[in-house]
Amino acid sequence: MNKLQIISKGILKENPTFVLILGMCPTLGVTSSAINGMGMGVATMAVLIMSNIVISLIKNVIPDKVRIPAFIVVIASFVTMIEMLMQAYVPSLYASLGVFIPLIVVNCIILGRAEAFASKNGVLDSALDGIGIGLGFTLSLTAIGAVREVLGAGSIFGFTFAEGVMPLLFILAPGGFLVLGYLMVLFNRVAKR
Amino acid sequence: MKSSLKNMVVVLFIITTVSALLVALVNNMTKEAIALSNQQTKDAAKYKVLSTTSDEAYILCDTTRLIGDFAINVSTVAQKSDNAIIGYAVEAPSITKSGYADRIILMVGFVEDGEDATINHVEVLSQKETPGLGANMTKPGNSLEQSVVGKQASTLKFSVTKEGGSFDALTGSTISSRAYANAVESAYAGYLWAKGRLETDKQSGNDTASGASTTQYDNNTETEPEAQKGEVENE
Repeated sequence: MNKLQIISKGILKENPTFVLILGMCPTLGVTSSAINGMGMGVATMAVLIMSNIVISLIKNVIPDKVRIPAFIVVIASFVTMIEMLMQAYVPSLYASLGVFIPLIVVNCIILGRAEAFASKNGVLDSALDGIGIGLGFTLSLTAIGAVREVLGAGSIFGFTFAEGVMPLLFILAPGGFLVLGYLMVLFNRVAKR
Repeated sequence: MKSSLKNMVVVLFIITTVSALLVALVNNMTKEAIALSNQQTKDAAKYKVLSTTSDEAYILCDTTRLIGDFAINVSTVAQKSDNAIIGYAVEAPSITKSGYADRIILMVGFVEDGEDATINHVEVLSQKETPGLGANMTKPGNSLEQSVVGKQASTLKFSVTKEGGSFDALTGSTISSRAYANAVESAYAGYLWAKGRLETDKQSGNDTASGASTTQYDNNTETEPEAQKGEVENE
């Protein structure tokens, strides 16, 4: 598999949201607006790339039967450290992305990629996989967020064009399920061709 | 790697120990910087809610009132040029009503207005409400902010409009809005308390100052947070 394919499969063939259906909790939770979806996606991508690198580096010294608890401990401490460092030295970035960081610890995309890819591949490939899956997640979340924001709040990326006339349902949880379902159908229909 | 009891125990032990050590190390390293940046955010909010800056004004005194486990902090902000009091920045949590996820902490700026106080501006210091719904309380010009800014605090009813209050709730977020109203209420209570305290101090301290419109406080004598921290009142 060449390097470019590793990245592109994360966006299309193995899109985490629409194809692998991983990380549904943050997907439904934060996509009430396009900018929130994007923030979550970017924060996840950063953690994913780094956790993939670390896991692929230590994969050879971890016994098979305890690999999952080992990965969880590594990822959780890793994310906690990033959160503290961000809060201390880049408070402005923390103010915009900070709320998403604790959600990433329990995000199954991170563990899923550690288990399915990083524990079987080299460092460079694992980093590329992190970029690809991260991009796929970011784009999907931004798309869901944009649709929900347009339909529910009448705005896009915070720019309001129709105030108070749109059905609030799309911002609430049921709307999240609806939009996710329809976008999933659409994505798989188009991607299959 | 093939698993045996020995290598599983050893590897897990090493990983957890190293992780714990690293987290502890980073925590130690960043603790002060985090506290500092939180303090800076808070200080900036104190000036912002009174429409001033740290270049033009300073904090004359801080008093803290404890109600159970909650602290309401009242900072008196004064003009640097003539030491006149601009207003009071009150940091208060929602005490009796929690938000959707957690308590909401607000910084509310009160400006004296005769017998009453006008709310100058409100900043949300801490909230964990749903993004796109309750979290909209942090957006400038939201309906909650508009319900209080420029109003006299004593004329406000501290609940949402559909319960007969003066707070125009955020769309789809009644619980968050109730907590917001509750936090403004505790801020007002804190303001009245601090006000009463300062009046008593003034009368017992120097009688000549009564009736003067711009009282000059000495920075050292009025700052007595240590003495007040022990004061616990249950409500």
